[in-house]
Amino acid sequence: MGADIFEVSVNIIKMLLIFLMMVQLVPILVWVERRGSAFIQNRFGPNRVGPLGLMQLLADAVKFLFKEEFVPPKSHALLYYAAPVLALIPGAIAFGGIPLSMPIHIQPFEMFGSQWGPYTFQFQSYNLGIGILFILAISSLGAYALLLAGWGSNNKYSLFGALRASAQMISYELAMGLSLVGMLMLYRSLDFQDMIDLQRGPLHFMFFGKEVLIPILPNWGIFYQPLGFLLFATAAFAETNRLPFDLPEAEGELVAGYHTEYGGLKMLMFYIGEYGHMMVASAVMVTFYFGGYDLPFQLSETLVSAVRGAFSSVNLGTVMAALALHVVFLIKILFFLWVFIWVRWTLPRFRYDQLMDLGWKKMLPWALANVLVTAYFVLMAGSAG
Amino acid sequence: MSELILFYFLAAATIAAAVGVVMNENPLLCALHLVLSMLGVAGLFFLLQAPFVGAVQIMVYAGAVMVLFVLVLMLIDTNKEGEKFSGGNISALTKGLAVGILSGLMTSIILRTPQPTKNITAQEAFDVIDIAKLLFTKYALAFELLGILLLVIPVGVVALSRIRGGTHDR
Repeated sequence: MGADIFEVSVNIIKMLLIFLMMVQLVPILVWVERRGSAFIQNRFGPNRVGPLGLMQLLADAVKFLFKEEFVPPKSHALLYYAAPVLALIPGAIAFGGIPLSMPIHIQPFEMFGSQWGPYTFQFQSYNLGIGILFILAISSLGAYALLLAGWGSNNKYSLFGALRASAQMISYELAMGLSLVGMLMLYRSLDFQDMIDLQRGPLHFMFFGKEVLIPILPNWGIFYQPLGFLLFATAAFAETNRLPFDLPEAEGELVAGYHTEYGGLKMLMFYIGEYGHMMVASAVMVTFYFGGYDLPFQLSETLVSAVRGAFSSVNLGTVMAALALHVVFLIKILFFLWVFIWVRWTLPRFRYDQLMDLGWKKMLPWALANVLVTAYFVLMAGSAG
Repeated sequence: MSELILFYFLAAATIAAAVGVVMNENPLLCALHLVLSMLGVAGLFFLLQAPFVGAVQIMVYAGAVMVLFVLVLMLIDTNKEGEKFSGGNISALTKGLAVGILSGLMTSIILRTPQPTKNITAQEAFDVIDIAKLLFTKYALAFELLGILLLVIPVGVVALSRIRGGTHDR
């Protein structure tokens, strides 16, 4: 936690702020989703309440809060109430493990008449040192929320949705994990910070004893593992239950799937959980394949020194520079969140057997082949980066 | 100090969840209590500076194995099967015997384990690369055999489901 009271309190406030940021992004995403879907389908979308329809978010929040509390009879009350909370937790914990900006090194300073030593704060809630492994582990717990919601609400459509959801999540977890293995072999580390450091500079790697340098491309993971990225992105869509893989809540067949019996704030918590998983998936994609919070071509160094120069205090400048890089990271995440929304309103839903075929017969073999080819190149052609 | 509080909290939660596994009549609730107990054990691993083992514990047991258990249990009519699942004197006797044998085993193992002579720091305890090296060199045979064992299970399940008809019938 920290050595003294200042470090401990900053760490606690930091955790709280990261969680609140994640939750506060959700209404904005809902707005983007509704306006974006309207844009794609040549409609207007909610545009009456406030400028661009942005006040619709507040109206929605009020509606969610004041809806009638309804518990279906013969439901299992404990599980029915526990499921929405469980939907929120894994995404929130997982998002805290991803570095959202550069570590902040604070010089010694004086406050309240005493000296406060040098500190280093990481721009993430916690750092276990196993980075991606813990995120995958915690995200895999998201299946329980759907299972409990489906079983607890004592409704056949809910139960079908829950069964589909868990089968789908388990099937795609394999491909998801394997698609990242190639990248992990190249990075030789599970820690996100190491990955971001390795992706700095122009594209350069050793190829059969010769050094290859391509100055017009950044040293991002996507150029080493395009297939891995494609597989991971597909698996991420399936893990977050988004179209084209949203069979757990297929409206045409299952009414609303696992959350048929939920309304009001409980329904909203499922939404927050879904968007939380999307944010985690986007953040992992950005960190693994697109350089994290780093900008290519020395731009982030320029940005950091420019922001630092604008402030007279060294510590304030460092904090502001970290915030500037955090904005870079947010823009990258928002791009991938937009891709999630874009795909949802573009592609039709898979049939259930197509979904299972894709997961087990296509993605799993390709992910295994990707691992083998990467292992060959890492061993024979020399390591990357 | 905070580690001690966390340890006692996690230990108490793990044991309470484990008791819930045995005491519940509904098999689904038993399985969910088992998940809680496994998460508690994972928390204890994190506390012991072994985040790799903890994360694998969550991923494999809580995230994959138990989801499958819960999935199957949801298809059971718990009102009818509940009677068969838990009830009767023989079942209670078996449970009592199992608890006695297991606690005896655990106590003897704990008593026979030599006390650690030094405190292990975080840097010594945690290294994924060391674990990987051990798995692929010293314990390679056991590792591969376990893989084959796990492979036999899905093959057997598919073979059985083909004999009994169903979606995989030929």
